[in-house]
Amino acid sequence: MSEEEREKELAEALADVLDGKPQSVPPELAPELAALGEIDRAIAPSAPLPERLSGHKIAGEIASGGMGRVLLGVDEALGRTVAIKTLGERWAGNPSVRARFMAEARATAKLNHPNIVRIYSLGPAGEPPHFVMEYVEGAPITHAAARLSFEQRAELVRKVALAVEFLHERGILHRDLKPGNILMGADLEPKLVDFGLALDLGAEQRLSRAGDVAGTPGYLSPEQAAGLPQLDARSDVFSLGAVLYELLTGQPPFQGGTARDLLRRIREEDPALPRRIDPAIPRDLQNICLKALEKEPARRYGSAREMADDLRRYLAGEAVLAEPAAYARLMSETVGRHLRDLDTWRGEQIISEEEHGGIRKRYERLLEREDAWIMAARRLTLPQVSLYLGAWILAVGAALVAFFPYGLLRGAPEVLAVWAAAAPTAWIGVRTWRRGNYRVAIAYLLAFCLLAPVAVLVTFEELRLFAGLTRGDTALELFYRLDAAKKATNAQLWWSLAAGLPVCWAMRRFTRAPVFSLMFAAMAALLYLATLLRMGMLDCLDRDPGRFFFRLIPGAVLFLVAGYVFERFRKPDDSRYFYPFGVAFTWAALSGLAGFHKPYSDWIQRLAPWTRGQEEYLFLINAAIYFALDRLADRFQSEQVRMVGRSFRFVIAGHVLISLWLLGLNSSSPAAEQHLFEWLLVAAAAAFVFAGIPRQMKNFFVSGMLFLAIGIYRVQQEVFPGRAFWPVSLVVAGLALMLAATNYAALRVALGRVRKRH
Amino acid sequence: MRLPSSTSALLEKAKAGDADALSQALERNRRRLTVLVHFKLGPRARQLSDAEDVVQEVYLRAFRAIGRFTYESPGSLLRWLSSIADHVIADRARYQGREKRAGQEVPFRSPSNPLGPEPLDSRTPSRLLAQQEAVARLLARLNALPEDYRRAILMAKIEGLSTAEMAERLGKPREAVALLVFRAVKRFRAICEGAGP
Repeated sequence: MSEEEREKELAEALADVLDGKPQSVPPELAPELAALGEIDRAIAPSAPLPERLSGHKIAGEIASGGMGRVLLGVDEALGRTVAIKTLGERWAGNPSVRARFMAEARATAKLNHPNIVRIYSLGPAGEPPHFVMEYVEGAPITHAAARLSFEQRAELVRKVALAVEFLHERGILHRDLKPGNILMGADLEPKLVDFGLALDLGAEQRLSRAGDVAGTPGYLSPEQAAGLPQLDARSDVFSLGAVLYELLTGQPPFQGGTARDLLRRIREEDPALPRRIDPAIPRDLQNICLKALEKEPARRYGSAREMADDLRRYLAGEAVLAEPAAYARLMSETVGRHLRDLDTWRGEQIISEEEHGGIRKRYERLLEREDAWIMAARRLTLPQVSLYLGAWILAVGAALVAFFPYGLLRGAPEVLAVWAAAAPTAWIGVRTWRRGNYRVAIAYLLAFCLLAPVAVLVTFEELRLFAGLTRGDTALELFYRLDAAKKATNAQLWWSLAAGLPVCWAMRRFTRAPVFSLMFAAMAALLYLATLLRMGMLDCLDRDPGRFFFRLIPGAVLFLVAGYVFERFRKPDDSRYFYPFGVAFTWAALSGLAGFHKPYSDWIQRLAPWTRGQEEYLFLINAAIYFALDRLADRFQSEQVRMVGRSFRFVIAGHVLISLWLLGLNSSSPAAEQHLFEWLLVAAAAAFVFAGIPRQMKNFFVSGMLFLAIGIYRVQQEVFPGRAFWPVSLVVAGLALMLAATNYAALRVALGRVRKRH
Repeated sequence: MRLPSSTSALLEKAKAGDADALSQALERNRRRLTVLVHFKLGPRARQLSDAEDVVQEVYLRAFRAIGRFTYESPGSLLRWLSSIADHVIADRARYQGREKRAGQEVPFRSPSNPLGPEPLDSRTPSRLLAQQEAVARLLARLNALPEDYRRAILMAKIEGLSTAEMAERLGKPREAVALLVFRAVKRFRAICEGAGP
């Protein structure tokens, strides 16, 4: 018999069964009939109700589930309505399940919490197993959600989370949190029911007994879904997240046709973003919800209370701590794809190198948000601003103590006072960090990084350590020059800054927060300046400032090299803070040299006497140096070094154009020279306008335009005063240029033809 | 189990004005009708009103109109209720977007409305059925079926139509209907078996 005929035969047999014609059923149909039997069971009218339980008249059935039924009872003596939970007949016969049912009921009967249903009494031995509890008039918590404001929904979940925390504190895991187990009446007071009673059966066992059990597993945690035996509070946190998700979006976070499919999704897939389902959902609530729904228990809230606290923060309008890792996961996939597209487009030259770099950088910045607390720390909120303001005032106050003498604070008390200010910041910072409140911890630790050198300095002052003067000369001491300041020596300053370096380094190691690399680099820069102080910098500044700027050059090289070395050792988060100091030192050194360094101007005068050693020519040379540095930086693969090159390139236009302008203004002697500079300014400005093209330097374009106008004005004043042909020729030239640009393509073709003919 | 004779007896009493008898007869069909109504409601309509809401209203109308009902066969009560449900759903669709119909919502017996019928769940105005987990699970499984398979199972098992009646309603030969039902049941069984891990 063919497959097809056999199928027809079976179909006929099944049709006969369905039509109620009695006949012998082929054994192959047994599983199908079993499945149909389940439909019958599901829609069958409920089993008959017992007359009385624990002396209560049974008035009806409230709900039925895998474990048993909840019946409505009336205490006629008290006139009180109660709910009576019974154990299903299937389980009532099983002594161990029965014993655990009663044991759990006994344990939970001791609980007294406004958001947890009360248990009044246990069924007596002679009756079927049951217990009597408070009757909650209400519907599942999600039922009326759509009619509530987001604040009300957050408040509901906060109450539930606190009730769950109450259970956890008493060693009870709920394990079966779902909307159906959190009832709510018109008073908006949620009540937890059914806690601890579902724990008899593991997820595995529950679901494998398809017919028996707990309806939807959609609110189980991934660890429950994986059937792991060890569960903790964070499993309930996940279920709370699932309930919040449904309250917000109106649908459970995970849905699947079959239970197996559903369990797989719970274990593997991220739920759809709530705001994608309803854009009105506040971002903070989405964050809280997704943080609770993290697959990895360690990434969730550590306890139901933490989740409640975050919900409270949302309700109070404070910054919510949660920044779910789900965002980074969500984006990294898409962003990775976009970045690959970007690379392709660059290869195909659809987009320019600059656009590519710019977009890439922004994307990468998006992904950096994985360091969630940094984002939280950067957000300006009242508590955040107050935190940093406090840290700053603390540091400045301590600095005052270090720099100025006070009658009351002298000697040992002063040392004690600064350390008493510094030490707690470190202690609180480390403690808060360990507790996971990174945002706050960073503020304390940063304050400590500032306070530590100050405290060390005060200690040195009072203990008279490193009290030797620079070359034995008070004139070389920074603090001796300040009136009314304490007489700390340069050496003391140097050593206290040096002591700050390992503190920053240790903080970077401890927190792995790049902000401490910034602190480290800044302190190293100060230390470099302190080194110059000890080398007699003040004397230089007095007599020959050029030499001081000359000594900045090693610092510039040092920072640039340090940045490069860090980058080579794959520490881009550290290197990115060293380069800017290198660039700043270079700018300062080169500008200072051009402005003040006598040998520099002597050298150019010797080389080209017509320059008369004017500093403007030196700035032009600086521009050439920046250009060379930019070219050099461009040879590196590193994006950060190229960024350095770009910052050098950035100042070229300003250097050249301002120098030419000043040269024109200052050269008074031969009119020819002055005229030369007027024209040069116009030409250079126009050149910079066009020079912006190859690397898309917008500042070249803008400064070129600006100085072109200045140059045209200068030519008008100095070369063609009162001559009408100058503005007329400008108008004509401008119009011609516009027309040429409009017909650019045609012109090019024509030019090409002319060139060919020659 | 449901016995045709007793149902007809209940309905006889109900037509004679015995509200309790009607309640009992309706209660026997409650879950069946809920499943049916659930799938009568489109996915959009399902968000607006629960199947239980509709069932509640169907019962209300049944109380009012019981006089017009005639008992023919075991399935006729369900068929009658099902057609009332169609009207209720159509009315709801018409009222959708309009403000809540004042007074029409709860005309059950209450101090202000002493002549109204007793609600079926006299305990709460609620969706107690949402907590009937077996029904919820059944809905989820049926939902996972392709449309035509689901229709076939609903007709055969929930409405209780014979294959001949189905053939008539679908305008297909009986053999084709038998094959459709067989395949639908096979798929349904696969979904049920897939439910366990």
